[in-house]
Amino acid sequence: MSLLATALADVVGAAQVLARAATLQVYRSDALPGLRALPSLAVFPATRDELIDVIRVLATHAAPFVARGAGTGLSGGALADGITLVGLHRMRRILALDPVTRTATVEPGVVNATLTRAAAAHGLHYAPDPSSQAACTIGGNIAENAGGPHCLKYGVTLDHVVAAMVVLPDGEVVALDRGDDGGYDLLGAFVGSEGCFGVVVEVTVRLTPDPERIITLLADFTSVDTAAEATSQVIAAGIVPAALELMDAATIGAVESSVYAAGYPRDAAAVLLVEVDGAAAGVEADVVHLSGLLRDAGARGVRVAHDPADRARLWQGRKKAFGAMGRIAPHLVVQDAVVPRTRLAELLRTIEAIGARHGVRVCNVFHAGDGNLHPNIPCDTDDPAEADRVHAAMTEIMTACIAAGGSITGEHGVGIDKLAYMDALFTPATLDAMCRLRDVFDPTRRANPGKAVPVHACREWHAVPAARRVVA
Amino acid sequence: MVTPTRIDDLIDVVRAAASDARPLRIVGAGRWPEAGHPVQAETTVQCRALRGISHYTPGDLTLSCGAGTTLAELDDATRAHGQWCPLLPWGDDAGTVGATIATATSGPFAERLGRPRQLVLGLEAVDGRAQHIAPGGRVVKNVAGFDLTRLLTGSWGTLAVLTTLHLRLRARPAVDESWWIRDGEAATLQTFARGPHLPLAVHRTAGGSKGLDGDGWLVRLGGNRAAVESARAALRGCGTLEPVATEVWDRVRLIDAPPSRALTWPWTPLAHRVRAQFDPAGILNPGLLGEVA
Ligand SMILES: Cc1cc2nc3c(=O)[nH]c(=O)nc-3n(C[C@H](O)[C@H](O)[C@H](O)COP(=O)(O)OP(=O)(O)OC[C@H]3O[C@@H](n4cnc5c(N)ncnc54)[C@H](O)[C@@H]3O)c2cc1C
Repeated sequence: MSLLATALADVVGAAQVLARAATLQVYRSDALPGLRALPSLAVFPATRDELIDVIRVLATHAAPFVARGAGTGLSGGALADGITLVGLHRMRRILALDPVTRTATVEPGVVNATLTRAAAAHGLHYAPDPSSQAACTIGGNIAENAGGPHCLKYGVTLDHVVAAMVVLPDGEVVALDRGDDGGYDLLGAFVGSEGCFGVVVEVTVRLTPDPERIITLLADFTSVDTAAEATSQVIAAGIVPAALELMDAATIGAVESSVYAAGYPRDAAAVLLVEVDGAAAGVEADVVHLSGLLRDAGARGVRVAHDPADRARLWQGRKKAFGAMGRIAPHLVVQDAVVPRTRLAELLRTIEAIGARHGVRVCNVFHAGDGNLHPNIPCDTDDPAEADRVHAAMTEIMTACIAAGGSITGEHGVGIDKLAYMDALFTPATLDAMCRLRDVFDPTRRANPGKAVPVHACREWHAVPAARRVVA
Repeated sequence: MVTPTRIDDLIDVVRAAASDARPLRIVGAGRWPEAGHPVQAETTVQCRALRGISHYTPGDLTLSCGAGTTLAELDDATRAHGQWCPLLPWGDDAGTVGATIATATSGPFAERLGRPRQLVLGLEAVDGRAQHIAPGGRVVKNVAGFDLTRLLTGSWGTLAVLTTLHLRLRARPAVDESWWIRDGEAATLQTFARGPHLPLAVHRTAGGSKGLDGDGWLVRLGGNRAAVESARAALRGCGTLEPVATEVWDRVRLIDAPPSRALTWPWTPLAHRVRAQFDPAGILNPGLLGEVA
């Protein structure tokens, strides 16, 4: 064992340090296909003190590291290339849950859905609901500022984090809050920092009361265009559904042929899944308004589901859609981009044309209500020619979204996957300022080096050698 | 006093000040009281002329405007489309959007309608190194890059001068009504505020300061007609309802502002490091947040 491995073993015990390539294979990738990198070491602290000591040992050895939650990230953020991986899955205790203040304090490895299950007894839930919620961790959610279908009404992770205890890469432990009582909003700056600012040790999040009434509508359309236009009309009408998701024919086909079949009409070109929630009287009025609006906007049919089992089935198809696409090809390149909501139909047409030109099939399943596209491409990334075509199509899609005044990621983060697009989205001065923000937390750049913001953009950083080498 | 009309002019002012370490006092419309610690600076930079709405697509519920745009101007432009940017901060609508975001001033509706940090999607600014930066964007969901927008929101002009704000708008509630409850009990009103009806605000008024006769509670309800009617029915259980005009909230915003958060600014080591990265010469509003120069 190396000196570093021995020092880490002194903290967590030898059984919780992996150093052999064979045992490290599990950590070779996250949920982004096509990029693989092997850590040199993996260490698994179980408590707050162990985690802090692990980071301090890494600091003493000037060793770069990557924190990892569940590894469900879709931008390569949790890849550790020849450096130490700090796995947080053992830190999964809910430390406090207070139904009066409606907050919970948890360790970073707590799984998103586990927190919601624990809160259920009090009529509460944790609102950010990424489709990966059965596996992803609160720590990973904070690092990515994760979203989910219900973030349309309830807001993303940022809006639900009250305070965090963080260990900075030099081993210093700091308490971050939102600056509500004075102070820079360092918590706001930390959320979404993709593991580059330090490691979340403990976090306090807001819990949301379960709504009195929830009604889910399924509207089906004979063209994607009409479905997208209908989305824009719902938003423009000022109704804020709890969620508003669009699935196209390719997605419907994959879902309906799978074990997650939800009863979506197979002959539809697109469906919208719209949910309204809140106090009963208002919700029922919204449903009447929405049903009329969707029909006027061209929906062929609108199904209204009140019953929890019925609603759960409609949602299962949406939440498991990525999984269902596994039927189409060995890999799924999940994309993530955002466009202004009035331009959804236009962008979906552009994306279809780009896919056709490159001979790839795009399956759209996304958070239409906030313009957050997921143009996914089922493919075989081990086939170099196909991987090239997918890459070319994705680059054009990103360029089109930027040109429309949008963004290259709404919730999955930049990671490694999107670094190449950052120069098109931000000016050199802006990217340099982002590097300076990172310097506040991690001046030696040992936390998740080489991710989120391209290193070449950091004007004062050129002297330090790049710590990353990713093997495809 | 300088009043730049273009970003390039502002960059020149900041660059010159940074190179000879000359402090600048940054103001919006210049009507905001000192946060608690007066800034000692020969030059005041007024942002009022960086004004106007540069981008507004009502269907997207997003709007971009210059930092010097007043809240009243913002309100007029969006009202025409049945929308608003519900910052509605403590103070009045003659204040600027830039100052509201720079101080992250929220108001009585923040809990329900969003705090400044939730309503700003992106911005443009000139930092203390005279760098023109543009983090975030105009779309309602965006995680590209480290979050300078959140950092600058509420930084009181000590890291950068805000020039443009990209804001999230909301539809105004179809029905919007306010009630005064003279005989309300704190416990019942607090329970009402916790749901399921989710009022826009439940606010304690004291001593007739609102032109109302004595102590009591102000409650604002908003939503579709059915929602408001059922909320009102539930509210009746909290006391006797007397109708009040919505304008009462303008007085509440003026009179009931909490003490400035700038007075209790915690100068932690991290906060000093932030300052050093974005304003190394210490020229932007020095002393305003009580730091030892
Ligand atoms: C099927 C599927 C559906 C998905 N749906 C959604 C969705 O709807 N919305 C959405 O936003 N995302 C979605 N994702 C993406 C992913 O689940 C989220 O990004 C999630 O937040 C990652 O959590 P994780 O625990 O798996 O993090 P990991 O993948 O392990 O790590 C992600 C990043 O977080 C950092 N990190 C992890 N823990 C910590 C910590 N304690 N402190 C500091 N940094 C840390 C890592 O270094 C890495 O950079 C989906 C993914 C899949 C596979």
